[in-house]
Amino acid sequence: MNDTGLRLQASGGLQKSAARIGIGGPVGSGKTALIECLIPDLVSRGIEVAVVTNDLVTKEDAKRLQNSGLISPDRVLPVEAGACPHTIIREDPSLNIAAADKLNSSFPELDVIFIESGGDNLASTFSLDLVDYWMFVIDTGAGDDIPRKKGPGIIRSDLLVVNKIDIGPYVGANVDLIKQEAVEVRNHRPTLLTDCKRKIGIDLLVEQLIQDVLFTDV
Amino acid sequence: MTKDNKIIPLMLLQHSDSAFPSGAVSFSWGLETLVNRGIVNKADDVQAFLNAHLTARWASLDRIMLVHAHQSWNDPDRIAWLDTLTEAQSLSAEQRQGSRQMGAAMLQMHCKLGTKRAKEISTAISEGKLYGHVSVVQGVLWRALNFDSYQAQSMAAHGLSTAVLSAAVRLSVIGHEDAQRIHSVLLPAVAAALQKPVSEPEEAHSFAPQIEIASMMHEMDEMRLFMN
Repeated sequence: MNDTGLRLQASGGLQKSAARIGIGGPVGSGKTALIECLIPDLVSRGIEVAVVTNDLVTKEDAKRLQNSGLISPDRVLPVEAGACPHTIIREDPSLNIAAADKLNSSFPELDVIFIESGGDNLASTFSLDLVDYWMFVIDTGAGDDIPRKKGPGIIRSDLLVVNKIDIGPYVGANVDLIKQEAVEVRNHRPTLLTDCKRKIGIDLLVEQLIQDVLFTDV
Repeated sequence: MTKDNKIIPLMLLQHSDSAFPSGAVSFSWGLETLVNRGIVNKADDVQAFLNAHLTARWASLDRIMLVHAHQSWNDPDRIAWLDTLTEAQSLSAEQRQGSRQMGAAMLQMHCKLGTKRAKEISTAISEGKLYGHVSVVQGVLWRALNFDSYQAQSMAAHGLSTAVLSAAVRLSVIGHEDAQRIHSVLLPAVAAALQKPVSEPEEAHSFAPQIEIASMMHEMDEMRLFMN
């Protein structure tokens, strides 16, 4: 997408296009929960949302969002990953691009399409031919050494989200240390802390997305 | 040897490489259902499955459409007719859908590469004038890139073989060694299929009932790694 919000379609023409935001991260880090928190906040600001899910084995995430009551079910499209979640967001994102194009063409009013990767590992990254911006979600339950492991997801994402900060103390994970080391290994690029259960940090996350990629404040 | 003749073998490697974005990674073409139900559970079964796909569906249906599309690559009406015949001859919904999705994925990349006719076909699909089945799209685009008919057929058969074998490896029913052994064992069958006379499009057909039934069952499967 260029800075006018226009995207060159496969068929050649330029048309208004929603920003495409990738959400990657390990299994269980809270990617779907994060989307469930983001949708009502974005909608309340008049931002039109759709989602492409890349469930690994079932259509669990797609059905969860479709049945959530937060979004019209036809604004959620599942794309099966063929057991290779990283391949369909990076080496061969063609089916995800097609799904996002379909959503864009069905709902021209869209402002943002989230593309949720299937749960993967710390090496998971998005093709910039697929998304305009991507965030990587980790959770404190996986341990406070995750940022030190410096996977490409941690280092290269536009935004790192450290989710489930509420459970850190119960699993011996030092949330302050996670934040400090994440900021260091990312060379001070954005890192946010969230707790989806209590909606902590969601407002800051939305503000970050607006500032970095949605530009609705301009 | 002209410059083109020197480049074409290299292009053939590029365009038939599994690294070329085609969406193939998300398709098992019925294999997932058969593996999940224990019908395909060893290397011989995978070999039989791929052999059936290549000889009883691809060679008699997709190959025929590819060859005719390759011949008629500049004739939009005939391309639309071939595309419609392919739609009509594909029994299960997921086979039809998978074929269309792979066609669209291929077009998406070729539009970016500037391949002749790619934008026209892509536009026709978005306007509802074409389904965009992969065999028809392959025929047109590979002809536009100056691959001859035999090369185009070989590329398509290779793509199907690698996609199915890769899916079988990911489904843990075979390992990488068996995948390459099966690929080698089936090469003569593919070569024989490529030598067969090309029927008229109206006579193109597939008869792989177990694969068709597996594809239909897959539509209702809760556990699914693949789109078909």
